[in-house]
Amino acid sequence: MFPNQVHGYLLKFFNENNCPILTNTDHYITVQLTVDMDKKIMNRPFYWRYLESTDGVPDPAQLTFITDQNKLDGAIKGEVIHFGSPRLNQLFQATKELGAFVQMFERVSDKFESRPILTPWLGVNYKISYYSDQTKEMLYSLGINLMTGHLTDDFQELLSRVDLVSIRSEYVFHLPYIIKPIRALERLDTAIENIVQQDDHTWAEEAKRRWQKDLEVLEYFYEGVENKPECYEMEKKALEEQYAARIKIEVINGGLFYMK
Amino acid sequence: MIIERSTEWKEGLVNRLENIEPWDNWTLYKMCYEIVNDNLITEFSGLQSPKYLPNLTPLSHQLEVAETVIERMNGKAILADEVGLGKTIEAGLILKEYLIRGLVKKALILAPASLINQWVEELNYKFYIPAIPYKKNYQLDHYDVVVMSMDTAKKSPHKELIYAQDYDMIIIDEAHKLKNHKTKIYEFVQGLKKKFCLLLTATPVQNDVFELFYLISLLKPGHLGNYETFQSSFSASKHNLEHDEYLRELVNQVMVRNRRQDTGIEWTNRRVQIIPIQFSEAEKEVYDLILDLKNISPVFSGAFSMITLQKEMCSSKEATALTLEKMREKCENPDEMDHVNEIIQKLMGLEINSKAEKAYEIISQANDKVIIFTEYRASQTYLQWYLNSKGITSVLFNGKFNKNKRDWMKRLFKEQAQVLIATESGGEGINLQFCHHVINYDLPWNPMKLEQRIGRVHRLGQEHDVHIYNLAIDNTIEKDILDLLYVKIDVFEKVVGDLDDILSTYKKTI
Repeated sequence: MFPNQVHGYLLKFFNENNCPILTNTDHYITVQLTVDMDKKIMNRPFYWRYLESTDGVPDPAQLTFITDQNKLDGAIKGEVIHFGSPRLNQLFQATKELGAFVQMFERVSDKFESRPILTPWLGVNYKISYYSDQTKEMLYSLGINLMTGHLTDDFQELLSRVDLVSIRSEYVFHLPYIIKPIRALERLDTAIENIVQQDDHTWAEEAKRRWQKDLEVLEYFYEGVENKPECYEMEKKALEEQYAARIKIEVINGGLFYMK
Repeated sequence: MIIERSTEWKEGLVNRLENIEPWDNWTLYKMCYEIVNDNLITEFSGLQSPKYLPNLTPLSHQLEVAETVIERMNGKAILADEVGLGKTIEAGLILKEYLIRGLVKKALILAPASLINQWVEELNYKFYIPAIPYKKNYQLDHYDVVVMSMDTAKKSPHKELIYAQDYDMIIIDEAHKLKNHKTKIYEFVQGLKKKFCLLLTATPVQNDVFELFYLISLLKPGHLGNYETFQSSFSASKHNLEHDEYLRELVNQVMVRNRRQDTGIEWTNRRVQIIPIQFSEAEKEVYDLILDLKNISPVFSGAFSMITLQKEMCSSKEATALTLEKMREKCENPDEMDHVNEIIQKLMGLEINSKAEKAYEIISQANDKVIIFTEYRASQTYLQWYLNSKGITSVLFNGKFNKNKRDWMKRLFKEQAQVLIATESGGEGINLQFCHHVINYDLPWNPMKLEQRIGRVHRLGQEHDVHIYNLAIDNTIEKDILDLLYVKIDVFEKVVGDLDDILSTYKKTI
């Protein structure tokens, strides 16, 4: 992410969260946090607890973020923010929490003579991580039709081509789902597990080989030692933690989508 | 294989379906997907860390080291670049990579006390790793990345507190301090769980090849065999290595070492010379009298104290007198005491210090900033007085100074004084690229100390050729020291790899 991308991201993030942007130049912004956003990112629970117990007037923080230090002139006081900085990671995390579940409807023109019909889908974005002493991550976007049970991948890509709104339209007939969303989620979970199982797992075998090799070296060091010292067991444990293959499946976000 | 998953999202979905919680914002939903997609680590190999570090432009050899350590050495390695090539940067890149990839959550960095602040600053400002310097009463549970001095770490109660933590990565700076397996610090590190581990030292071998054996045995026990097999295959006598090639290959599996010339960066030349010095008649007489003391009194029969005295005599009468006076107190026989007194009198009567004169001569010829390294505090003070009497300004420096004082002395040297006179412990963690003359007034036994000293000036950022003057007095113990230094350098080069010139430009073959 380049400085201008970070800048754009901040504007969008605070706008979407109803935090007024007080100043906006090409290299820094000043934003007035809402009470909710202050609680989320300012890390001062005691202040808020105190204020609420004393019925004080809330005074959420104003923050200045410098997105491009190189363009800075004059005495602008603020936090330098860039890709990789803890603050941006925190905002990424906040984005994840605030954008985890949606219910969206395809926009339909009200000029139609007959009443349009929208079909419900459940869409879920999964992140799969492979861990040994190395890592690899994959992102899968799966969708399931709640009428037919039809599965599709690249669902997020499909959504990007649809005009979606969050408000249910009166003109439209929304089909009730036949497959309950929770059942559908279970089907997607199974589908993603199948994807993982069918993947090439030489990485895990290779990690195991490295583990085995290091274990042999360790055994050689303590060969013939009757009472092996404590650090022998510890070294063994360290090797396990270093090389043991693990897979993590994580839901990034998902939701209900009503589409034609 | 274990598949980890959480039901948290499912519970959240149920809450929305039952209208307990509101649905989220569509734009934020899309932003979230984009971020995850953009930050995805799509390959097992390759470095992610550089794109997270806008304030750092790593050099190509530093990136290579980070990749090699992670991909070929599986995160356990000795980083043994020559002094001044940026081992801290390499370690930072590796740590950052593991943090980004989620393989390391907690890391412990052990460094000499004088380098702690430098580590904390570099990690925070260059790598955005929130490292803190350890203070007494800190709750280690609350901090993920902690920098601590080795001396603190090895002692109770800190030792136990560290053992109670579950560190994923251990980084040890100046790891040659672990060369002796009988020390407390060695034992302490041996007792640490080392999932990922970096040992940083420019000088993995200082005196003999066993130091490397013990260092590697900390990192990967068994890699060089156990002690018995190592001893029988690699060393009958400590300096005689038979299977050099084989050993070197094994070592290279766990050690990365860049030499200045490998880095693709233009380095200025290093002009190293030995400056032979002759004692004056009077100095020679005192030196011989001291040497003869071992025949006069049992107090002087110990080899160690005799060697100390001889070395001191090669440095300054001030240094010698201190030791001599202390030893005089131990003499029980009045005759012996008188004899020592006579020597002290003769010693203090010396009017010329030939070595100091030579140093002065070099400084005036250089007509530029010069660093003098001496082994003795008394010589340090004397040299300042002597140079002052010749109209040359100097500042003193030693490793016990705190950071403020170091920075202050460095500034004084840069802006006002011509000469900086440092004792041995001043050799670490101060960078003086604006200076290009180094006088080794006294020679240490360990060639790597010389390398460390030279590394203060001959490092990234040096723009001039660097001149190194090794002073040695003819027909004294300094001749023996020189010979031993050559032998040790030879061992190092056989096992670890070639060294830049330390003693002289022409290598002596043995």
